[in-house]
Amino acid sequence: MLFLTLFLANIKMLYRNRQAIFWALFFPLIFVVVFGLFRLDEPSPVKMALVDQAQDLLSARLVQSLGKVEFLKLNTTFNEEEARRKLVDGDIAYILVIPSGLAQRVSSGHSTNLTFIYDEKRIQNNQLVQGVLEQFLGEMNMAVQGSSPLLTLDSRGISARRIGYFDFLMPGFVGMGVMTFAIISMASQLALYRQQRILKRIKATPLSVRTFFLAQVGAWLVLSLVQAAVILAAGMLLFGARVYGNIVWMFPLVILANLAFLNLGFIVGSLARTVEAANGLANVVSLPMMFFSGVFFPTDNLPSVLREIVRLLPLTPLLKALRGVLLDAQPPWHYPGELGLLTLWVVATSVVAVWSFRFE
Amino acid sequence: MAYVIQVEGLTKRFSALVAVDNVSFQVQEGEVFGILGPNGAGKTTILECIEGLQEPTAGRALVRGIDPRQEPHRAKENMGVQLQASAYFDYLTLTEVLELFGRFYHRHPDPRQLLALVGLEDKAKSTVSRLSGGQKQRFTLAATLVNDPQVVFLDEPTMGLDPQARRHLWETIQEMHQESRTVVLTTHYMEEAQALCHRVAIMDQGRIAALDTPTNLIRHLPVPYRVRLVASTTLPLGEMEGLQGVTAVEHSRNGEYLLSSVNAGHTLPALLALLNGRGAIAEHLEVFTATLEDVFLSLTGKELRA
Ligand SMILES: Nc1ncnc2c1ncn2[C@@H]1O[C@H](COP(=O)(O)OP(=O)(O)OP(=O)(O)O)[C@@H](O)[C@H]1O
Ligand SMILES: [Mg+2]
Repeated sequence: MLFLTLFLANIKMLYRNRQAIFWALFFPLIFVVVFGLFRLDEPSPVKMALVDQAQDLLSARLVQSLGKVEFLKLNTTFNEEEARRKLVDGDIAYILVIPSGLAQRVSSGHSTNLTFIYDEKRIQNNQLVQGVLEQFLGEMNMAVQGSSPLLTLDSRGISARRIGYFDFLMPGFVGMGVMTFAIISMASQLALYRQQRILKRIKATPLSVRTFFLAQVGAWLVLSLVQAAVILAAGMLLFGARVYGNIVWMFPLVILANLAFLNLGFIVGSLARTVEAANGLANVVSLPMMFFSGVFFPTDNLPSVLREIVRLLPLTPLLKALRGVLLDAQPPWHYPGELGLLTLWVVATSVVAVWSFRFE
Repeated sequence: MAYVIQVEGLTKRFSALVAVDNVSFQVQEGEVFGILGPNGAGKTTILECIEGLQEPTAGRALVRGIDPRQEPHRAKENMGVQLQASAYFDYLTLTEVLELFGRFYHRHPDPRQLLALVGLEDKAKSTVSRLSGGQKQRFTLAATLVNDPQVVFLDEPTMGLDPQARRHLWETIQEMHQESRTVVLTTHYMEEAQALCHRVAIMDQGRIAALDTPTNLIRHLPVPYRVRLVASTTLPLGEMEGLQGVTAVEHSRNGEYLLSSVNAGHTLPALLALLNGRGAIAEHLEVFTATLEDVFLSLTGKELRA
């Protein structure tokens, strides 16, 4: 069968094209590795200097208990001046000063102030650390007074699934990898075929260009499935990315969206005069999607006008559905809006692709 | 009817520019037909209209009586096409390309046979991207034969090749002729048209300026002969210009005389008599006929490769 022959020839060409393989696999894998290594979702420890001027039993107990707070990295010293200098230099973030004679004052019933010194510029962490310290001192107060709390908070998280930032990123990288490769390589490939007159050469044979391109699209869809599988597997196996849903659902979603991406690449390749222009224009189309469609951050954080625009781009519904399927363990039909939008994109871009096509 | 190709009143306009201007000609079965002309003369446009790759603005072109616009499949099935400066898939081997293209047709000869024809058997397993420029050009010639066509169109098949590679390609084209294929080729090179073609159409600015066999084209030149002479003494130019048949004499700086003549048979004895009378010896004497280059010059007043 002619289609099959052409399809296999396209697979062969893709496989032998090192540059295509690089952009299809290594480019997205770089993101997986970088974000996998830096683990932005686990808070980095906060360095705090403890200036213990009391050096008594109670202060020792304080220091020991504070040491158990997970994200505080303590650094005990006597010299407040030195600690302040370090804070200004940025070597440490906080200073807690325990005044001298602490045990004595407490046992004689005097209330005592511990001094908390912070850098005003670290807005985000300051409240967190202050809150933790206040809670900690409250517990210490009760322990010292020997009373038990009357009201306590029993915290129970509803979500049974732990979804960290890296887990959130992984479906994003799958969508990003498929999208950038499809648009950029399809655009430059088409421009190259036209520039090298391969299209015209095909036109001189009885083969219809439709069959020619359908076979190519078929081969590239297969590649996109390999891409999705390799990217996700790298995240899971190398960096322990968590996936809760049925991974198989990822594939039909990728195929549906990739039809739209390949069409977009095809249109760009038709509009551009040269291979270089096609490449540039394809970047112009794919980069904004890569940054705004929620690969790295949820689109909810965007200003409302921009969010409404971004919602309509083809990568956005793909990522929403992919995250739903992979992280929330939903079946794809749980996202009819997203599927509908993607289908609309496929139909619209198909029409424009056919309309914009030219042999030379 | 022995016409394989019939071109009737073919015209192609690109907005204001008339690339092909009301051109008509016929090509006979088994003929090697050349279209010769400078850049932009309209050679490629004519070929592509016949191949069905471009729509003529007016007129038509038939290949074996088939109009490629009406029956594209039937027309293409029997045509071998080499486009000017076209390429093939970089990441397929030569055999793979030939096999793939062969699949587009009913008839497809063995790729090995095609590669042997252009001397690329040993490259059968290397990819197109690894071929040198000349090898690529030879390969495109093999690729025009994937459907064992009766009619072959070659658009500047030897462009950019060194003389030796060009001769090699000429042999291949002659083999195509011996396999009784009809060949239509375009070229910038006069000697190529002279060596390969039975008939040549000389084109300039979208029109056919002359169409005949190379010999006839030259014979009908107003001044078909040149005589080159290096003599032992200086000769009077005026006397030479008066010799029988001579139309012009040039004396170049290196002492060489170049005579244009309408009849070498009359001019030569007269010239020798003149030398004798002056006691001069001809150190170098050469008579040659004009080339298609001269035909082009006399038809258009332009150098072909200006
Ligand atoms: N697609 C096009 N659009 C506009 N003008 C064109 C187009 N194709 C060809 N032309 C013009 O038509 C004229 C004839 O072009 P054509 O390619 O047939 O010349 P040619 O004889 O093959 O030249 P060359 O020897 O350089 O290949 C040229 O002036 C060219 O600029
Ligand atoms: Mg040309």
